[in-house]
Amino acid sequence: MSTQTQPTAPEPAKEKVAAAPTGNGGPYSAESRLGGHAPRTQRTGRSLAFDDPRHLQAHHWMVEETYILDAQNYEDWLDLLTDDIHYIMPVRVTTALTAGFDSAPHMAHFDENKYSLSRRVARFLTEHAWTEDPPSRLRHHVTNVRTFATPNPDELIVDTAVLLYRSRGDIREASIISAGREDLLRCVGDGWQLARRTILVDDAVLRTQNLAVFL
Amino acid sequence: MTDLDLVLGDVRRGMIPAHIYNDEEIFRLERERLFSRAWLFVGHESEIPQAGDYVVRRVLDDSFILSRGEDGQVRALFNMCLHRGMQVCRAEMGNASHFRCPYHGWSYRNDGRIVGLPFHKDAYGGEAGFRRKGQTLLPAPSMDTYNGLIFLSLDPDAPPLREYLGDFAFYLDYYTRQSASGIELRGPQRWRVKTNWKIGAENFAGDMYHTPQTHTSVVEIGLFREPKAEKRKDGNTYWAGNGGGTTYKLPAGTLEEKLRYVGYPDVMIERMKEQWSQDQLDVIGRDGFMISAASVFPNMSFVHNWPRVEDSDDVLPFISLRTWQPVGPDETEVVSWFAVDAEAPEEFKALSYKAYLMCFGSTGMFEQDDVENWVSLTNTAAGAMARRLLLNSRMGLLEDGTEVVPPLTREQYSGPGEAHVGYGEYNQRHLLSRWADHLERPVEKVSQVEVSGVPADHKEVRA
Repeated sequence: MSTQTQPTAPEPAKEKVAAAPTGNGGPYSAESRLGGHAPRTQRTGRSLAFDDPRHLQAHHWMVEETYILDAQNYEDWLDLLTDDIHYIMPVRVTTALTAGFDSAPHMAHFDENKYSLSRRVARFLTEHAWTEDPPSRLRHHVTNVRTFATPNPDELIVDTAVLLYRSRGDIREASIISAGREDLLRCVGDGWQLARRTILVDDAVLRTQNLAVFL
Repeated sequence: MTDLDLVLGDVRRGMIPAHIYNDEEIFRLERERLFSRAWLFVGHESEIPQAGDYVVRRVLDDSFILSRGEDGQVRALFNMCLHRGMQVCRAEMGNASHFRCPYHGWSYRNDGRIVGLPFHKDAYGGEAGFRRKGQTLLPAPSMDTYNGLIFLSLDPDAPPLREYLGDFAFYLDYYTRQSASGIELRGPQRWRVKTNWKIGAENFAGDMYHTPQTHTSVVEIGLFREPKAEKRKDGNTYWAGNGGGTTYKLPAGTLEEKLRYVGYPDVMIERMKEQWSQDQLDVIGRDGFMISAASVFPNMSFVHNWPRVEDSDDVLPFISLRTWQPVGPDETEVVSWFAVDAEAPEEFKALSYKAYLMCFGSTGMFEQDDVENWVSLTNTAAGAMARRLLLNSRMGLLEDGTEVVPPLTREQYSGPGEAHVGYGEYNQRHLLSRWADHLERPVEKVSQVEVSGVPADHKEVRA
């Protein structure tokens, strides 16, 4: 029996407990007039360690999702969403530092439930969704992943940053959308599903011809 | 070099030189001769309901603060400090009693009057050097409202807005006065597309011909039941005053049945009956036409549609207002609001908002396919070949100028203006002929405002 102990890892840095919470969530889902059905679960505590199995599963899920979105396999994507999903992307506005808000009141780009998302997907599956025929070349870059526990053992909150590169045609300038996301993942059966997503886009004026894409 | 007279002549006979959709020289003229004069929509009073509320809106390159003063009055103030020209408000919206310039600290009340001028006495010798009294942020040369819609014109001699709108005001009421309280406006969503601003304005004004083709997919997925070709051609296209639009023909029935068909609840229908004139009610009830898209010259548009927003057979109507804000010859900022009757039931407001998001705006499923076409058109219009091509915009006319179908008679249609059933490009021609009227008329020299000025022959006196 070896007496050798594991090499001692350095003590996890004692992070300063930030006075103000950070993250990509916010009151948007709860305040939306279309969010009455949405789960209200919030994060608890600090982000999970990067070797925590829950974080590893969440990170894995996020990366797998980007490949599905890049390939525009939207029927597969719908299967990753719970029936009570709320998918919201507020309209950001420039406000004074002390204004206390930075999004247009009660206005979003996306404010979707499963039905409206399913209609969007159904449209892409017709032969007449001209905006994506020929399709864009899409690359979702997902990074800055951190995972939080919630009061429910089967639900996790995940913060990510996403950069979408969207190129159409041969010579048109590509469009770039940068956003932070807060996701609520729920364990359903043997996998995770997305139950709520808040997308905080970093532009007040979008520089893309439409949002015939998902973030 | 473009021969302007030739271009305008071609446009007036319904032959459109393709390059006008992407041409630096034309764009310069539009800026100088059109957008310097026309009434332009910038916002709605409901966006700034409380004293101190403001939103900042642009008219091409000029930024205006739409501010509700402590006296409750709405003003449009040019967003430039009277001292060194800095923007005094760098937010898009908020509530403020004062705007303070970050550069040297000059400050202004929310009605525009200057209140703070640091070191006025030391720096200027007080009023003897700079007359602070009576100085105010430059108001927009003209501002006027209709049903709470705020319009600006850079022309101090612009005609009254009501006169400019003319008989289109009749149709504006369908979108913005369904009850005595008028609309609430939410948004706007803003995004920039590589397309010329005229294309959207023309499309919303009268392009009912594109609906069955461009928007096939939204019918296929059950979002909208109407655009089928045969239904669309039974609608009419009307032009009245300074605007025009398209309508759908509704199935037979009473006024109430027709309004219910597009999804209005009875409580809203009752208010419409109180609010609208007999002619306005007859367009729907007697004649069977329901307003859909429309444009007011030059760059404001409207939509009214009634999609299915849930997995049921019910439809729900929504209204959207928007402007096609020119950025350059090949770029437009779409500024798109959701509008809803202020007295509508809360549930209706929520679902109507959902209907808007599903159909129009940055994520709208109708809109997505429109913009794809317009970007492509604009791109193609930039080259030398486009200068050789005169596009035929004469749909609805025979070669000799007679109309394929006669306009509806007063017995067939109670609305003002001229309306035709069937396919036609009447409204695109109306819009572009007004455009030609502006472009051929040079502008007069604008008057300048001196900030506490001195006569031109005064010189600096050196000790």
